[in-house]
Amino acid sequence: MNETVPALRIQNLSKRYGRTVALDGVSFDVPRNQTFALLGPNGAGKTTLMHILCTILKPDSGVAEIAGFDVVKDPLEARDRLGIVFQEPSLDDRLTVRENLNIHGLVYGVPQSLRRERIAEMLELVELTDWADKPARSLSSGMKRRVEIARALIHDSEIMLLDEPTVGLDAQSRQRIWEYVRRLQKERQLTVLVTTHYIEEVETCDQVCIIDNGAVLAIDSPGALRHRQGEQLLKFVPRTEADRIEILNRFSDRLALLQGTTEIALKADDDFIESFLDQFGNRVRSLSTEVPSLETAFLSLTGRKLRDRDADAREVTLAFGKRGGEHTR
Amino acid sequence: MSLASPDQTHTSTYRPQPRRRRNWFMVQLGGLYGLWLREVMRAVRDRGQLIGGASRPILWVLILGIGLNPYFRGEVYGQATFVVPFTYLQFIFPGVVALNVMFTSVQSAVSVIWDREFGFLREVLVSPLSRTTILLGKVLGGSTVALMHGCLVLVLARFADIPLTAMGVVKAIGLMAILSFAVTSLGVVIANRIRTFEGFGIFSNAVIMPLYFTSSSMFPLDPALSKEQTYVTYPEWLVTIVEYNPLTYAVDSLRGVLIHYNQFEPWIGVAVMVAAAVILFAIALYDFRRA
Repeated sequence: MNETVPALRIQNLSKRYGRTVALDGVSFDVPRNQTFALLGPNGAGKTTLMHILCTILKPDSGVAEIAGFDVVKDPLEARDRLGIVFQEPSLDDRLTVRENLNIHGLVYGVPQSLRRERIAEMLELVELTDWADKPARSLSSGMKRRVEIARALIHDSEIMLLDEPTVGLDAQSRQRIWEYVRRLQKERQLTVLVTTHYIEEVETCDQVCIIDNGAVLAIDSPGALRHRQGEQLLKFVPRTEADRIEILNRFSDRLALLQGTTEIALKADDDFIESFLDQFGNRVRSLSTEVPSLETAFLSLTGRKLRDRDADAREVTLAFGKRGGEHTR
Repeated sequence: MSLASPDQTHTSTYRPQPRRRRNWFMVQLGGLYGLWLREVMRAVRDRGQLIGGASRPILWVLILGIGLNPYFRGEVYGQATFVVPFTYLQFIFPGVVALNVMFTSVQSAVSVIWDREFGFLREVLVSPLSRTTILLGKVLGGSTVALMHGCLVLVLARFADIPLTAMGVVKAIGLMAILSFAVTSLGVVIANRIRTFEGFGIFSNAVIMPLYFTSSSMFPLDPALSKEQTYVTYPEWLVTIVEYNPLTYAVDSLRGVLIHYNQFEPWIGVAVMVAAAVILFAIALYDFRRA
């Protein structure tokens, strides 16, 4: 396999449903062995993009390549390299955890000996070995998610697509899921593309792509995104009144906030902080920096958090299943 | 094992497989087996479906069959006299077999809707299996389950006074297999045309029951009567529907095998069923590939 080919290459990808534009010329590359987050409000086009990548939806125009294989022209090669965790749970509730994994292995053509080995290994990784022979319906939703992650890795997947993997889970389960994903990335050459709308989760990703209304608003590392959207603040309390006056005079152009008679806040960047510390490091107390959160970056880019709309046919069916409708288990 | 970076602290047993072309056919065959296995395992675990599959024929055979038994023989309608040399129980028994097969077939086909949008099928659709393999696995699995439910009815044969021979059972199983394949395909064809679904009731009322009631499984069209005489006995529209209902011929050939009574030529039933199975599967496949 060619290591120079990016794990994912998306170029000018567009898709519309009737008059609604779901994706509008999206382009980005995901290098190998990175964790790449797609962040966007509901209806931004994240899931559409995911569906195109896993070859169940055809784009109107543009190119999407998985490890160099075009998802439209070479879907089988592309699928073979993908491990997918869908947004809605898709385990078979009536089968046991092991049976679920085994059937996945069969469907993906993993030879029997390797299948057995991988199932044991993956169950251990997600710490569910004890649950292997329990029916999937007896698992909590967090555990089901873990099984689904294990399942996505039974075959030789190089790229894992996670569509909102932590939605609807409690904080502890969410943290665990991320722990497994990171551990996996260390153990196995794995590129992870994850969509989420939990901002705190993307902090640890290598790259974040913010999309809304089907268009890419920004792609960068989480740190850079934060910096881009707001300035850092350097907060400190001068030791003496003389220091205070000197600093205020010298950096009056950078002054952001003057709190009471003690604390001063200056607009800062990394270089400024360094030179400031060189000169005044021993003349200030209780020094702190305030970094703008990704949340502010996200809000300023998209301008909102959620979007309400009518339920479509798909959601009606999903609601039916959630009520425990027939033939949905 | 070569690790990615020297500072790697984790050890892994992960063994990447060399990416050589595995035999395409073998992969499809393994996948087909996986899909089939899943359908069968699901059905065996679903107690509700099993109870339904067992209680339905008991109700039809014991209650309806026994209740209507005395009214069946030697009825006189104007000039025409029915002489079907069987009890009503014997007469409707093959129909009940067909009914049970149909219910189960359509039931498993209906789960395609859910499966495709959210469940297992979505996962399979992104696997290296071809659409044909996926659909074939699903339909074969559904037919196998339906076949099992058909056999459940055969167990009741002695209560309906039907002597089962080994040959008869083998032939009946063969016919049930073709029928279940055809009806499962029909279920998938319908399922593919429906975006939302709120359960199985609609299907049962709109598809299975009308097909069943107009298939001559509840009442015979006397073969001794001419067309004109039949029209005297029954309204014309009913006779027409019965004659155009493919299930009529399936029930008829089952009846031929089980109680040696045919209203039509025995081969017609087999031919109609095979044709229906092939055509319906082809349509289902066409839809499925497009979707």
